[in-house]
Amino acid sequence: MIHLENISVDYPLKSGRVPALRHVNLDIAAGDFVAIMGPSGSGKTTLIQLIAGLLTPTAGEVIVSGENLRQLNDRKISGFRNRTIGFVFQFFNLPNYYDALDNVALPLVFAGVDEPTRRTRARELLTEFGLAERMRHTPDQLSGGEAQRVAIARALVNNPKIILADEPTGNLDRDTGTHVMELLQRVNRQRKVTVLLVTHDEKAAAFAHRVLRIEKGELA
Amino acid sequence: MIRRRDSLRLTAQKLALRKKRAAFAIISVALGVIVVVTADSLLEGVRDVAVKTLWTEEIAPDQIRVYAGENPYNFVLPGEERGQKTKRRLQYLSESVFEEIRGWPGVEAADRPVVVQPVSLNAFAGRPGAVAELQGVPEPMLLRYVTNRALLSGTTKAIPLVVGERNVRLRFDEKHGKLEADPAGERTWLGRDLTILLGDNYAQLSRFQYDYKKRQYTALSDDEATLQRDSLERNFRAQYDTAIFNTTLTLKGRVVGFCPGKKVLMPLEAAALCGKWIDQRNRLAARNLERETDDVAYPEFGRRAPKPGEYTEGVVLVKPGADIEAVAKRIEELGFSATTRARAFENQVRAFDSSLRVVKKVAFAFGGLIFGLACALVWSTTSKTVSDSRPDIGLFRALGATKRDIRRLFLGEAMLQGVLGTLFGMALGWALALTISHWVISFARRSTFDPEEALLIPRSIFSLNLKFCLLLVAGAAILSLLAGLLPAQRAANVDPVQALKRE
Repeated sequence: MIHLENISVDYPLKSGRVPALRHVNLDIAAGDFVAIMGPSGSGKTTLIQLIAGLLTPTAGEVIVSGENLRQLNDRKISGFRNRTIGFVFQFFNLPNYYDALDNVALPLVFAGVDEPTRRTRARELLTEFGLAERMRHTPDQLSGGEAQRVAIARALVNNPKIILADEPTGNLDRDTGTHVMELLQRVNRQRKVTVLLVTHDEKAAAFAHRVLRIEKGELA
Repeated sequence: MIRRRDSLRLTAQKLALRKKRAAFAIISVALGVIVVVTADSLLEGVRDVAVKTLWTEEIAPDQIRVYAGENPYNFVLPGEERGQKTKRRLQYLSESVFEEIRGWPGVEAADRPVVVQPVSLNAFAGRPGAVAELQGVPEPMLLRYVTNRALLSGTTKAIPLVVGERNVRLRFDEKHGKLEADPAGERTWLGRDLTILLGDNYAQLSRFQYDYKKRQYTALSDDEATLQRDSLERNFRAQYDTAIFNTTLTLKGRVVGFCPGKKVLMPLEAAALCGKWIDQRNRLAARNLERETDDVAYPEFGRRAPKPGEYTEGVVLVKPGADIEAVAKRIEELGFSATTRARAFENQVRAFDSSLRVVKKVAFAFGGLIFGLACALVWSTTSKTVSDSRPDIGLFRALGATKRDIRRLFLGEAMLQGVLGTLFGMALGWALALTISHWVISFARRSTFDPEEALLIPRSIFSLNLKFCLLLVAGAAILSLLAGLLPAQRAANVDPVQALKRE
């Protein structure tokens, strides 16, 4: 499902180029649940951004779901992101001017899905995640756990093959974090969605099938 | 790819988030549009009214008004006169000129018109518009308007008179204070004997006044009329021996036909005699005879005054079917100005259009300036929105929005501001134009004393130019799109990785 081959990423700075990833090779099979752990600045988020096609590697190839991302133009890579990837962020990234329902339906807007279908699918997911009563609430009216569940629902609304979760429990208390991880685990098991989790939290990483460690841009 | 409808919706939602700023930009656009739309909606209507009411009917279709080479009352520098610049020198009309014109093919009569004033006609005393002037015209011209030749050739000593249709079509109902159409019209006037009071210095006194509140005429009271007379008399006393100046001569007149407008025509010879009588009376009555001499009236630095036998104005009548423009051209070749009804109309329309063009240009330039500033504001608003929306742009890109989608969102926002402002401005502009139209029409109706002219005033001068409005909306959309182009491009190029970083 995900194949990273000899990936290097350098960030250009005024003082020179700073390497973020060095010669990374990674293979993740479909339906896998992989956690990547490492200290801050080790390159975890860069790895996720590479897989999502938000970042182009300085060297190496990123092949996701059979697509070599380097060869895709903006329109194709955006379509790929929309159909294949679901994002879960540490700080939820839910626009406050939309309610939960519209937030969940947002990826479908960019997929060109009509409004009734969007609403039906978003409603189904929110109901499944126990948020039926919260559909019309805006993110600032939701608790942290509820907001992250809305974010997971949004990540799943377009039936992606991969979920990229960047510190999904980083902004939650322990119990809520556990609930969110259980939800991700359930999604992985029931929907056969590949989950790539980036975290500092050992407890969260314990939900993954395998844990990879990264340090100074290199996978251990 | 985002749907067009969803794109518009997202744009509107984003715009709603910045209500104050967007409202400011929209109102700015609207202000520019209001100026342009108001001017456009009214000027067309004003022109329509002007064309309908342009005063050219005093010149008959087969008549040419001839004037001395240049306006004799224009002041020119003495050097110019003394420098013998012949092309600028004034050329007066004379009997020999008229004689020459009379000999041309197609010309029926050529003569000087004689204006006799002051004069009053008893039958017009009951009308708001006084007749204080008689015009003596060549006999063929008078004959054009004579309805009943028998009246003209009848054995009577009455002076044949042709009166303007406007004077006889309406009559004043003193009881109700209203002007009403005379059902019998011209018929009741034909053959009517009138008393002509030559030298009536009070002929122009108003006999009625218009009550704006009641919207009707009321007759002046005796006291008011006396006040007016006294005021005029005070002025006369300083200049004339009033015992002589108040002398009048009563003549008998008879209505033999009707001509356009409000003038009253009589035969040239009779007018010349009447004019001579009034001149003599005035000379006798003048306390300061020098005031009456032409040398004093036109000082040495001004234009030369006409000598006896020289005239400033003439009238030429062409035969039916003759080419009036060809005759007018020949007159011009002699060095005189010639005006026909068509030329007078064209000149008036041209002068009016020229003024309208200036007004329109100023209004459009002013509106354009405001609109330009508004576009700058749209640009600034969109730029600020882009800066404020970086996290959203990053999120949208992560969720699958293409660069094109992002560009469209912000271009749509700029365009929406421009189009909304234009539509808003158009609606306000129309409302303003309608209000102004209402004011103008009410004012025109109130201030028009000529009842027939009042009938020509339309209900509204507002006109809707749909083609112009469509062009305005399209122009606004294009200009606001251009204004939003750079910010939208900047938004499309936002790096999602950087935008998603939480500060």
